[in-house]
Amino acid sequence: MKRPSLTKLTHLAALAMLSATTMAAQQASVSVGLNPNALQLFHQPPDAWPTYNGDYSGRRFSAIKQITAQNIQDLRIKWKYKITGIPPLRGSGPLIIKSTPLMVNGVLYFTIPDHVFAVDARSGREKWRFDFEDHGGHVLGQRGVGMYGKWIYFLTPDGWFISLDAETGKERWRKKVADEKLQYFTTMAAVIVKNHVIIGIGGDAMDVPGYLEARDPETGEMQWRWWSEPQKMGDPGSETWPNEQSMRHGGGMTWLPGTYDPELNLLYWGTGNTNPVFAGQGRKGANLYTDSIVALNPDTGKMVWYFQGSPHDTHDWDNVETPVLFDLEIDGKPRKLLAQAARCGYFFVLDRTNGKSLISKPFTKTANWSKGVDERGQPIPDPNKEPKVDGSMVDVASNGATNWPPPSYSPQTKLFYVNATEGYSVAYLYDTSPEPEGYGGGSSGAFDTHSSLIALDVLTGDVRWKHIPKGEGAEGGGMSGGILTTAAGLLFTGDSDRLAGFDTASGQLLWSQRLDHHVSNGPSTWVMDGQQNIIVGAGDTLYALTAGGR
Amino acid sequence: MASKIIHSHRFVILWRTRNERAQKALISRTPASLLAIAGLCLSSAIALFGSGRGLAAAQEPELRSQPQSAGQPDRSHIFLGLGRVPDAAAAKRGEGLYQQNCQACHGAKARGGIGPNLVRSVLVLHDEKGEEIAPFLKEGRPQNGMPSFAQLTEAQRYDLAEYLHMEIELAANRGLYKHSGEMSSGNAEKGKQYFAAHCTSCHSVTGDLAGIGGKYPQPAAMLARIAWPNTRGPRKATVIVREGKELTGILEHYDDFETTLKTGDGSTMTWPTVSVKVEIPDKLEGHRALLPKYSDDDLHNLTRYLLTLK
Repeated sequence: MKRPSLTKLTHLAALAMLSATTMAAQQASVSVGLNPNALQLFHQPPDAWPTYNGDYSGRRFSAIKQITAQNIQDLRIKWKYKITGIPPLRGSGPLIIKSTPLMVNGVLYFTIPDHVFAVDARSGREKWRFDFEDHGGHVLGQRGVGMYGKWIYFLTPDGWFISLDAETGKERWRKKVADEKLQYFTTMAAVIVKNHVIIGIGGDAMDVPGYLEARDPETGEMQWRWWSEPQKMGDPGSETWPNEQSMRHGGGMTWLPGTYDPELNLLYWGTGNTNPVFAGQGRKGANLYTDSIVALNPDTGKMVWYFQGSPHDTHDWDNVETPVLFDLEIDGKPRKLLAQAARCGYFFVLDRTNGKSLISKPFTKTANWSKGVDERGQPIPDPNKEPKVDGSMVDVASNGATNWPPPSYSPQTKLFYVNATEGYSVAYLYDTSPEPEGYGGGSSGAFDTHSSLIALDVLTGDVRWKHIPKGEGAEGGGMSGGILTTAAGLLFTGDSDRLAGFDTASGQLLWSQRLDHHVSNGPSTWVMDGQQNIIVGAGDTLYALTAGGR
Repeated sequence: MASKIIHSHRFVILWRTRNERAQKALISRTPASLLAIAGLCLSSAIALFGSGRGLAAAQEPELRSQPQSAGQPDRSHIFLGLGRVPDAAAAKRGEGLYQQNCQACHGAKARGGIGPNLVRSVLVLHDEKGEEIAPFLKEGRPQNGMPSFAQLTEAQRYDLAEYLHMEIELAANRGLYKHSGEMSSGNAEKGKQYFAAHCTSCHSVTGDLAGIGGKYPQPAAMLARIAWPNTRGPRKATVIVREGKELTGILEHYDDFETTLKTGDGSTMTWPTVSVKVEIPDKLEGHRALLPKYSDDDLHNLTRYLLTLK
């Protein structure tokens, strides 16, 4: 790890300080930027939100508990920051904040495609803005930045990996990490693990292979690349493809931030849908390692285990949803676990040391595209439910049972919370040729479809409680955005055009605040000037809420 | 499968921005039949303007058809960042040249044969407007078995490049995808039997469904209509304010927090949702009960049958 600015003495002092992990945890912010030791498995420093999920676990559970069920009625908007002076994004209309802002040293860092914002966390005033002009790529969304020391890392629609000075927003360097001409694009928030900046990519229009990279935080040079598919026939996993041609064009994008266990030194990442997307006839087999959760060594990029959530996917069910890490005692034994509510409609609980399944259970309807699960707990796809020329109806909604908005796990309730969509959709096959390309089909229909906030018991996979919002369509109802839980037993998420607070144990709706748009990112929290702040993005505006708006 | 030429019907992407008045207005102005068909033409990203669709899942743009002036790039093309729109006239000329000169090795629609797939070729994908492809054609790669096409004119090499760009456009721009509109399965007689057994308590093919096949001639639109024939737009509701006091009207707004009802005299009233009881007639109860029971064959048979009712 290169840290040229530190003298030997201060380096030693820093080491001494950091050896006490609890102390380090309280000291997210060193004099210059973000101390990488602020990133921990199950602890968010109270004065910071240092990574996309707040900590490495992806639980989005905060120990901060000033705001309680008793005083939540006082919670109101302290400031808003509305993005101005940026026209609607190419082909995608209004500006929507999907990123979770980092908060380090009193500054919030967040993004939309092509733009990074640094905003004073106390006042909501803009400190700097970085504007980028892309030359292609999708402007679907941008999940945020990663931070290492004084440096910010940002990915552009056309595959540029850019390092900025957190103090000034000035560009340090840029590296090309994905080829937009092949229809790759990049949207994710980089994850920092030791001296690795981990970045994933998107893109499923042209049947390109997925990959995940580690890059050097100082130089931006590639340290390793892991491919979502085996590289040649004969390699492990290649037996799940009919030939090298289909395998090398099999998709499996890595477009959402993963999680990390420092003790096991394992990086957990979800891979996206298989390609061609809806037409599976040219790629018979399970199609590893697309639609999987993979555990990688972050120093080498070598895969340690995998679990495939949607084998031989023909429904565009990217298995990228956050693999959430938590520890739990089961039958008197401490267990290191991982849970994911997957887009294919299954809730998975795995042993994160080895990928062995504890629970695989549908969490919306029956997941009728599968005929149950195999001996490893992986769903078995029903060939009769693959897309058809005349349509094949599944009891999973068109965009999946859930999607990218981050879920949450509370160690207090032992419940996993996810915003879901329940309903039926029909998948059509358009390209009937033996070797189709691109999407090759599509999904449509929203039959008896509604959103719901679901609390899942991680010991049984059962739905403990469910909140189905009132109203539909133009009337105004619907859950939105990601989820934050806190040690005060509160859950924050979007409901209709409001930020809403629920009781984590009962699901009771306790409070709400109307916003100018529905919640569009995952809410986060930290303490400033002794006050707990709740931060949420809704459309083009970021909001800070505190007790009494103070 | 993407067809050879770009359909005159262009498609645009619309973000589902639920709270935007403009979009609501657009939806309410659009005939239901068009909406039903529109939702069926496109990709994974689509969904109908689903009443009650959750926002949690709305990560992707929803594509739907919308006639747009010819020659302009459609919004899905712009959104997907596909760059320059291929020259359709040149591509059409290039198609004939391709069939004469290239198809034997590179296969139908350039999807590969004994020679490589050209739609996935890095060289072709990196070509902007013939500057890579044309010299390549002129020179060939004799050592790899790719002959020189120096005999073609410059204009012909350009046309060939445009043809390849058009094939890429048709594969990559899922906003242009279109269902064939032809059914390949289903049995009308079996559909008639299913209808008699499950549907006649509410519907009649000589009554409410007379001529339904003429109204929804597109099979996918008909299937959607069978599965979930929800009428969009405001719902009727009765708001029970307290015992003995209830109002009936149109739901203007309804969520976990506020309920706004427009009554017959045109006035609106708003209550905190927790303070009232809202009763909404469930017109689709029968359809809801059938959804988990249908096999795909049932739906295809029913579709075939109802399409015969012109």
